[in-house]
Amino acid sequence: MGSLEGILSGVQLAFSFQGILFVFLGVMAGTLIGMMPGLGPISAIAIMIPLTYTMDPPVALVLMAGVYYGAVFGGSTSSILLNAPGISGTVATSFDGYPMAQRGEAGKALAIAAIASFFGGTVSVVLLMLFAPVLSSVAIVFGPPEYFALMVLGLTAISSLADGSTLKALISAVVGVMAVTIGIDSQTGTTRFTFGNPNLLEGIDFLVVALGLFALAEVCALIINRHQSSQNKGSIGSLKLTKKEVKEMGGPMGRQSLLGFVLGILPGAGATIASFIGYITEKKIARKPEEFGKGAVKGVAAPETANNAATSGAFVPLLSLGIPGSGTTAVLLGALLVMDIQPGPLLMTDQPELFWGVIVSMYIGNIFLLILNLPLIPYIAKILAIPRPMLISLVIMFSMIGVYSISFNTFDLYLLLLFGAVGYAMRLLSFPAAPFILAFILGGMMEESFRQAMTMSNNDISIFFTQPIALGMLIAGFLSFIVPILQGIRSKKKNTV
Amino acid sequence: MLRPIHRKVSLFLIALAVFYLYLSYQLQSFGTGPIGADTMPKVLGWLLILLSLLLFFTKDQETEEDKEKRRIPKQDVIKIGGVLLLTLGYIIFLEQAGFILVSFLFIYLCSNFLGYKKHLKNMLVAVLFPVILYSIFTMMLGINLPAGIIPL
Amino acid sequence: MKQLWLLFISLMAALALTACGGGNSNESGEENASGSSGEENWEPEQSLEIVAPSGAGGGWDTTARMAAEGFEEESIIDQGFGVVNKEGGGGAVGWSYIAEKAGNPHHLFVASPPLLLIPLNGQSEYGHEDFTPIANMISDYGAFAVREDAPWEDLNELFDDMKENPEDITVIGESSPGSMDHIQFVKIAKAAGVDPQSIKYVSAQDGSTMTNLLNGNADVYSSGVTETIEQVRAGEIRVLGVTAEERMEGDVVEDFPTAKEQGIDETFVNWRGFFGPPDMSDAEIAYYEEKFQELNESNHWAETREKFAWNEMYMDSEEYRQFLDEEKESMQKLLNDLNIQGE
Repeated sequence: MGSLEGILSGVQLAFSFQGILFVFLGVMAGTLIGMMPGLGPISAIAIMIPLTYTMDPPVALVLMAGVYYGAVFGGSTSSILLNAPGISGTVATSFDGYPMAQRGEAGKALAIAAIASFFGGTVSVVLLMLFAPVLSSVAIVFGPPEYFALMVLGLTAISSLADGSTLKALISAVVGVMAVTIGIDSQTGTTRFTFGNPNLLEGIDFLVVALGLFALAEVCALIINRHQSSQNKGSIGSLKLTKKEVKEMGGPMGRQSLLGFVLGILPGAGATIASFIGYITEKKIARKPEEFGKGAVKGVAAPETANNAATSGAFVPLLSLGIPGSGTTAVLLGALLVMDIQPGPLLMTDQPELFWGVIVSMYIGNIFLLILNLPLIPYIAKILAIPRPMLISLVIMFSMIGVYSISFNTFDLYLLLLFGAVGYAMRLLSFPAAPFILAFILGGMMEESFRQAMTMSNNDISIFFTQPIALGMLIAGFLSFIVPILQGIRSKKKNTV
Repeated sequence: MLRPIHRKVSLFLIALAVFYLYLSYQLQSFGTGPIGADTMPKVLGWLLILLSLLLFFTKDQETEEDKEKRRIPKQDVIKIGGVLLLTLGYIIFLEQAGFILVSFLFIYLCSNFLGYKKHLKNMLVAVLFPVILYSIFTMMLGINLPAGIIPL
Repeated sequence: MKQLWLLFISLMAALALTACGGGNSNESGEENASGSSGEENWEPEQSLEIVAPSGAGGGWDTTARMAAEGFEEESIIDQGFGVVNKEGGGGAVGWSYIAEKAGNPHHLFVASPPLLLIPLNGQSEYGHEDFTPIANMISDYGAFAVREDAPWEDLNELFDDMKENPEDITVIGESSPGSMDHIQFVKIAKAAGVDPQSIKYVSAQDGSTMTNLLNGNADVYSSGVTETIEQVRAGEIRVLGVTAEERMEGDVVEDFPTAKEQGIDETFVNWRGFFGPPDMSDAEIAYYEEKFQELNESNHWAETREKFAWNEMYMDSEEYRQFLDEEKESMQKLLNDLNIQGE
């Protein structure tokens, strides 16, 4: 294979002055935009498009890629500090990141997230480099039956996200799927549950639900505890990790960078599903699963490794097939077309410099991200030292503007308030919010792929059981759902006997 | 309280499910085959009814701690209500009065209302934060927030 | 507190480094002292706004931004231009926003066939009749692609097979049933004698359309021409036909046969143009018509067209209105055949 030459020319591009400069600017802009309310990788890339019109295509691509993974890197900050996930890939990070920050260890949580992101990003770039040519065939293996099975597998995690009553977790999930059925049905074009309101046609945006259920519900709790300011003010910005904590991170980082990368390759799955599945698998295999949800080191490391690994994984179908696997890579693809770069099966042979240049630049970008972020953490973490009343006002405004800047529509702000109220009521009644959001994210895709598959097979349900991958995932899903419940029943019996 | 709270919740959820099912059965389903736009909603509706019934008949497993969460002092209820009203005002006036002005008023009033009494600092944050955010969004990111009545 | 400001200042500085050109300048250069004497001549009195009824990055958004750029670069219009995204309902949210601007001709929007299809599907209360067509600028066409190893050599073979075994052939497209990708296929297939209702169409809105064609879950991919080019070059797929009137120009696309030359007398145009709010006066329409015509003839716009592989298709207000009325009628018929109707 002549790819060695290609790799070398890529290295040359990545290490050129321009290459280094633009990857630096890209990751910096990306990570800062990622921290902004409501702005995730999609908007970060869209914002950069006009800038790249006049740039050299390979350099522009290096910049865009940097903005993309930089934004994913920066996205965890608001999840951890404010319980306000700005993008769907960082919802799982808030499960343990926020409790840890509340404990007065915000700096530590951010540091874990940064290190895990770096690790996930770097490992997956290695994988990308080694296997990109081969992996493109993996990317197209998944069709509707496989996606349906994957979504089912993801949803079965609900039983393990429940702390306490499985029944309540299930109810929460069912209502979550109900919320996502609002809007135009993708398979028939029927409008469902919109009450004639055009603002509901496109469905409810993820951010409205996430910020409502998590950030605004938390605001209510903060109002009640407004007089008590955060404990351990002194150590809030401290990055120090104990040896034991570093050791604890090792396992999840190793496993989730692999798993995240593989899930990232699949078009449509991406960082969100990777982060949830990462979180859940770590909880399942952990020796002390009860620590999860209360600020466990592994609970932060796992989703952050996975979502960053998935981000690099998403470049496999994009660069080697020209297939955008997610909304973000679709915008990125659009940007590339503007620059006269046509990603596709021929990119690697036609423009090896560009192909490998981007991949090599990702190493550099990840290193920059780590160096940029670690020294800033103590300052960023100090956000929590803001007096409670003011912090509350700022979080509300932050959430409002985050939602407003995606739709420019005040209707979504009223919805945000509604979900805030729902979220708070759920807390008071001990209904977990995590299954709701998980079901909201996965439920829509599950229905869509189920119906696509059924149409394709002329309504023959055996399509799900004749394909080995789909069948395998369905069995795994069934087991992961039923085993914890059986265990629960058994241990209960033991207790009563 | 006459009945455990989870029974009330269960009844509320059943009502929600019935309403949802009512709408689901009104959906017209065209196209071929048994799986239409209404299939999944119907399944969800019935599932929610089933789960809610199960909830109704489960024993009350709430701990004292869970119950304690719901005893919110009256004063705090007032505070939450006040913040809610301020937020509503924020939404209503955002587009007419503009982002900077509304955000300034919101941050200042809300912080003050929740007991932050350092007026000067409060004022400073309430001015600077929105102005900086506004500049970043409109000038650097090309995202136009409502300018409103402040001429910019 | 201090650190927080430090953070923000560094943040601003950082963004300034990279994003100096990112914004759209909204200040209107000078106060325009237009005569505003009666109906004869009209000139905009404030900066103009073009609404893209979608998120950033899509076709509408690109068209709006490129037009705004063209107007400024070629200094065709002195007033400032802002592009605003009003996302939602496949366009419905943006349209109702413009409908509220009746009588204020400083707000324009960009549109394409969904402006006809979405109201017909009952998903928007406003349709093209509610707005003022100003000018159509460009067009694009649909393409029907199959895998390289597919048994069909041309459209007729495919459609013949479809007439016999419709349940064996899955057509996939990005848009929902009753919208673009579906309708363009139905339109051509119907002209070839296929029963519209028998067509098995699957919508994949998560970007997995091409994947599903390549991995065999779908047999035919109905899309825009540009989306197919790379895979054709790589020899993975073949384009059986495009919906254009005559052969297109350009590297790979010139090899794509039209449906027409295969004996199927039907076309589908993905037109794209600009509209104003309801109730515009003749003077206002005339003003914009002139400006858009100037843009259309400018070098800058020619380059833009080439860059995005758009085809020139200029229509003035009156032609445009007629064209749209006819298009809508033909869409209505297709939707009736499909048994898809709005409430």
